[in-house]
Amino acid sequence: MASKDDKLGGFAFSRRDFLKSAGVVSAVTAATAPAEAEAQAGGVNAVGPGDVPVRLTVNGKRVDLMIEPRTTLLDALRNRADLTGNKRGCDRGACGACTMIVDGRAVYSCSTLAIDVQGKQIRNVDGLATANGLHPVQQAFCDKDALMCGFCTPGFVMASVALLEKHPSPTPEQIKKGLDGNICRCGTFSRIFEAVSSVKGVTRG
Amino acid sequence: MASPIEPQGQPQPQTPAQPPAQGGGRGQGPAPAPAQAQGGGRGGPPPPPADPKYHWAAPHSAIGTHVKRLDGPDKVTGRAKYTFDISRPGMLYGKIVRSPHPHAKIVAVDLSAAQKAPGVKATLLWRDPADTQRNVVMFQGDEIAAVAADTEEHATDAARLVKVDYEVLPAVIQVEQALAGTAPAVFAASGPAADTTSGTPRSNIRQGQTQETGDIAAGFKQAAHTLEQTYSTHVITHVCLESHGAVCEWDGDNLTAWVSTQGVNATKDGFAQGLKIPASNVRVITQYMGGGFGSKLGAQDPQAIICARLAKDAKAPVKLMLDRKEEHLATGNRPSAAARVKVGVAADGTITAFDAESWGTGGAGAAAGFPLPYIYLPPNRRRSHKDVFINTGLQRPMRAPGHPQGSFITEMYMEELADLVKMDPVEFRIKNLPPEAPNAMWGSYLRQGAKEFGWDKRHPTGDPTPGPIKTGMGVAINTWGGGGSQGRAHVEISSDGTVVVRCGTQDLGTGTRTLVAVVAADTFGIPVGNIKPEIGDTVYPASGGSGGSTTAAGISPAIRIATVNALDALKAKIAPALSVDAASLVAVNGRIQVKDDPSKGMSWAEACKQIGPQPIAADGAWQPGLSSVTTSGVQFAEVKVDVETGIVKVTRVLALQDCGLVVSRLTAESQVYGGVIGSLNFALFEDRILDRNTGQMVNPNMEWYLLAGMSDVPKIDVRLIDQSERGVIGIGEPPTVPTAAAVALAVRNAIGVTVRSLPLTPAKILQTLAQRRA
Repeated sequence: MASKDDKLGGFAFSRRDFLKSAGVVSAVTAATAPAEAEAQAGGVNAVGPGDVPVRLTVNGKRVDLMIEPRTTLLDALRNRADLTGNKRGCDRGACGACTMIVDGRAVYSCSTLAIDVQGKQIRNVDGLATANGLHPVQQAFCDKDALMCGFCTPGFVMASVALLEKHPSPTPEQIKKGLDGNICRCGTFSRIFEAVSSVKGVTRG
Repeated sequence: MASPIEPQGQPQPQTPAQPPAQGGGRGQGPAPAPAQAQGGGRGGPPPPPADPKYHWAAPHSAIGTHVKRLDGPDKVTGRAKYTFDISRPGMLYGKIVRSPHPHAKIVAVDLSAAQKAPGVKATLLWRDPADTQRNVVMFQGDEIAAVAADTEEHATDAARLVKVDYEVLPAVIQVEQALAGTAPAVFAASGPAADTTSGTPRSNIRQGQTQETGDIAAGFKQAAHTLEQTYSTHVITHVCLESHGAVCEWDGDNLTAWVSTQGVNATKDGFAQGLKIPASNVRVITQYMGGGFGSKLGAQDPQAIICARLAKDAKAPVKLMLDRKEEHLATGNRPSAAARVKVGVAADGTITAFDAESWGTGGAGAAAGFPLPYIYLPPNRRRSHKDVFINTGLQRPMRAPGHPQGSFITEMYMEELADLVKMDPVEFRIKNLPPEAPNAMWGSYLRQGAKEFGWDKRHPTGDPTPGPIKTGMGVAINTWGGGGSQGRAHVEISSDGTVVVRCGTQDLGTGTRTLVAVVAADTFGIPVGNIKPEIGDTVYPASGGSGGSTTAAGISPAIRIATVNALDALKAKIAPALSVDAASLVAVNGRIQVKDDPSKGMSWAEACKQIGPQPIAADGAWQPGLSSVTTSGVQFAEVKVDVETGIVKVTRVLALQDCGLVVSRLTAESQVYGGVIGSLNFALFEDRILDRNTGQMVNPNMEWYLLAGMSDVPKIDVRLIDQSERGVIGIGEPPTVPTAAAVALAVRNAIGVTVRSLPLTPAKILQTLAQRRA
């Protein structure tokens, strides 16, 4: 994992006018509850414009970044921390390729601001396998051929892990509901269902 | 399709009413070929068939078995690096400025504000207002300019600062208006171009030639019943999870490009032509790619050329990946299809005559051909086709181009005809099928499938069960070309026993990487895990693009030939040590030994120790005799329809599919699952919806462009039919052809009324039910 220093060394970031960007405003309002947005607008937590320090805990390790407040968790990890396992399919919280686990809950990291998940435990697919090998969910995906192009796979794997940590022996209905937030265009659903149904031994998270 | 040399402002002509050229179109109609039909050599005398020593030998140790996908671990851990994941030192991010208008003249482009924006390192004018050949945009999303900046956020900001002045021009949005002649005259009558030459007659329509066989009038005279109806399918987009895009890096005059493409070699040539540099200066790499479905087949994409030019100007690597909206608008779609048909059927169920006018739109200048009638060819038939041009993005081949559309229209009227003569739909189909042949096995598959599916429990049209939930069954059939002849491979065996197979193909997610290893392992009689396949790079022996289901049949023979050559060399090395004739040796169970005498032999590891410091190297190129063309398949579907909500739930699908010699069974089965689910999306969910007045796509995203999720997927049973004697054929496309028709017919069987267009949305089903009540 890259630290702040070795990752950002090549860039010269200049500050820019925060308010000129419509994208910033929409991103903040889209991802923040109205009350929180109001509090921020009131200056309580307002940061930026330009890069600000953001400290994340990803896969148990500290990641310090200098990023714009509008940067999503997905983009922060992919573009600044070289954690490219999770993908961006739609960038609107519809396809689920970006699914990560934050404090035990599956979230769309494309629709989560990095700055909002400081102090939380963030897990993405890059940190799932250990020195002992693949996570049981990853192994089951390989065994059942629950992937084709593989671009949606990291999101499905993380959504499956979140599901199984909550329901270690899920019913078919729980599997379907737990994975309905993810889309696979190659059409691997049947195999994914088989894979998740076969997983044993995931402890309750 | 657009030329890779120049971004097309003016659409290029295509032959009307022809199936797309991507291999599979030739599968139209059964035209039964001999069992050992050759996969290549079309258009010239066939080359001599491969030496018998290369023929697929049985029993197989790896071919036809369930081998786990070799790159599974890399994909489930996130280690697999897609183009989207490539990061280079000092890399910039590119962003394209696109037209918001479906038809407009570019009056002026001002890049100055963007150039001054934070982090911007390069800008590019793609469509020069002064260039009268290129200064008109033809669809929402057409490219105009581009920027490169140090971060994605800065690139997005800078792109917004590019000021474009447009002269908005009248646009053709509705196919119906184009057909009626009430749409603005945009496209020349003689072809697709938005020809601005004064005096050019315009109609927005290109009329194809009428195709006619037999005696139509006589055919209708023999008919006991005549059906006249109109059927149609809609436009959908590819929605590859990984968008189109590239990372381009220059070293002097040499370009290295990581591209999400279905054809590394075509993309290399596209860069060479588009950038006017020698092809030998270009290297294209595609280790992993997130789906293509036909939309990533060539170098026709402006964004790859734009990316390379930005990188050249900025003197830094540039990553340019499209976003989801750009994907929907500008990277291809499946054209619509419609047909007004008149079909005559004799009292005994024989179709006697077919007459149709068909049309479809492939957008601003691309053809919209599809096969019709599909597979069932009456002796007396006539068809005329129109390509309708509207101001939307151009179509591209999409998984079995033309066939799902032709299948839907044909199977719908087949079912209505069966009801007219009161015949079981399976029996009616069998009666009208072409003669059975190895590549035309529908009759057998229909009988086999009907038995397994429980077709005898199907009720006549309209579920008589009381209550809102109605159940129904449907069936449809498919054909596809497959085959392929563009494969080359290089094999090296080292003294430590490792085997490397290099092949300039690419893995779209179909499992090509695994297939390469399976073929090699089978020849050498060693575990698949001992083979190291190296693909997805133009430094390897050039093979074809992955379109038309031609990859497996193109490269498998090449790998077979290369590995047999390498094995022969290895046998020659060890034969003296064993004091046997090299020709008596076989490679089996991890040993090289005299056939049926394990005592006269040695293990693979011992044998390879005889190789010495220089690896054994051998090459292979595709030869006929190891592959075939054309497949057949049948699918059955069962649905439940809630007639109060109009919601369709597909409960079961049974797919019987042949593809010749099944090389990698697990991944081949996955192709069938994927094809069925893709077609289910076409039937029920996805739809490119245009605002009828402004021409804007109203759902260019993934929340309103609907795709099936886990809860929408039925129980799917896959039955791969082995036809080992035919050699390798390919299976990417055929299974996605018939599901939509089978589902639509199951809905008809359930609710007792016919919805004659896709998609089968709840609103449309309720409307059709209401019309019957009225």
